[in-house]
Amino acid sequence: MTKRIGCGEFGDVAAELALGVLTGRERADALAHLEGCDACLETVHQLTTTGEGLLGLLPEAEPPAGFESRVLARIGLLGPQPAPAAGREVAARRPRRARQSRQSRRGSPVRPSWRVSSARQSQQSQQSRQSRQSSPVRRVLVAAAVVVAVVAAALGGWGLRGAASHPAQAVASSPLRSAELTSASRQPVGEVFYYTAGQRWMYMTVDLPSGDGTVICELKGPGGHYTRVGSFRLAAGYGSWGGPAGYGPVTGARLVGADGRVLATASLS
Amino acid sequence: MGIPADRLPDETLLAGLGAGDAEMAVAFVRRFQRLVYGVAVTVVRDPGVAEDIAQRAFEQAWRHAQVFDSRRGSVRAWLTTITHNLAIDVLRVRTSEPVDPAELPALLTAVTDTPEGFAVARDRASALRGELARLPAAQGRAVAMAGIYGMTARQVADAEGVPLGTAKTRIRIGMEKLRTVYHANDASPKDMGDD
Repeated sequence: MTKRIGCGEFGDVAAELALGVLTGRERADALAHLEGCDACLETVHQLTTTGEGLLGLLPEAEPPAGFESRVLARIGLLGPQPAPAAGREVAARRPRRARQSRQSRRGSPVRPSWRVSSARQSQQSQQSRQSRQSSPVRRVLVAAAVVVAVVAAALGGWGLRGAASHPAQAVASSPLRSAELTSASRQPVGEVFYYTAGQRWMYMTVDLPSGDGTVICELKGPGGHYTRVGSFRLAAGYGSWGGPAGYGPVTGARLVGADGRVLATASLS
Repeated sequence: MGIPADRLPDETLLAGLGAGDAEMAVAFVRRFQRLVYGVAVTVVRDPGVAEDIAQRAFEQAWRHAQVFDSRRGSVRAWLTTITHNLAIDVLRVRTSEPVDPAELPALLTAVTDTPEGFAVARDRASALRGELARLPAAQGRAVAMAGIYGMTARQVADAEGVPLGTAKTRIRIGMEKLRTVYHANDASPKDMGDD
């Protein structure tokens, strides 16, 4: 269960939430609070835009020679360019089938990182439209946008510390499900968050007693078949990962070591 | 005679990029490549990796140009966020120590120095730059580690050798000071609500 926190407690973590560095239980508690608090929503919005402003201060830098050509080649506006390409940029040609090639690209049209930006912008847009006479419906819509934003922000492939575990549950009435990740000896070793609205996403935090190296995250379908959805590195047993989780129904997740050994499982039924 | 592509507004170039117009795409890349590469190389500090990130950022801009909404922010901010998110993704996979605290003073000096030659020089950005420079050093480092390098409070605490609570407080207070300055001229700034 998420803990119901007040504005004071939320204020302690609002900046971390806005910067996308809040994880696990704290994140879930903060999200639950945001669903019902316009004032904190506004605070997070301002902190988020402040964080974006901070990035705007970063110094510019000259990319390597040939960068422009390689970018254009990458999006189909030039023939393939060798890397590193040196010398003058090659003149671009008209893209006969640029749109076709874009649309035929496989996989998710929206990467996790873009979802963050998009969701944040959706949040901003929602808030700009929100009048002073905030209706319950509008508040729910804005809260939903922020939930999407912060959940999406969590799904970028962290190498972070784990979080406290808890039984499988839905967070409030949101499409966010979470479940305890347990080891073969039935010890809680982490947590899985599974977001089911629209494109599906998952976020896993792991806190094993020890272990370094790459581990694989797999999702279990209704028929018991496991599908690999991503991998990440553990450092001293700690780590986390987030990313797209396919489109089909999911009943569970597991963490597998590089040697194929199942390290932990979670039920999302 | 039409307006040269390199003099068109950012939004127009982005639309041209999304539509597959080669001339506008070239102008778009030329206009923003130093920004995009600068963000990437600052975060990952590896030129080769940074170039890949920067390429991917432009690719994402191309893919999603049609959903960009200028009412939600500038093209520059949008592209910066895309690039930063990609860089953080890479950083988190590559290392558990995104940045050495010893490297932070140089970065903070760079971002709080005079605006000339930097990404943004608007008033609000200048105010933010000034406030960042005025933060106590520990708060500035904590904000940079979390806001630029995507480090959690735990990672900040470990890197700085301080308790977790201290790291969280530094992030919170530092960001709150920056927020106050950055949103000082908003129409109706709100404080934290009551329970």
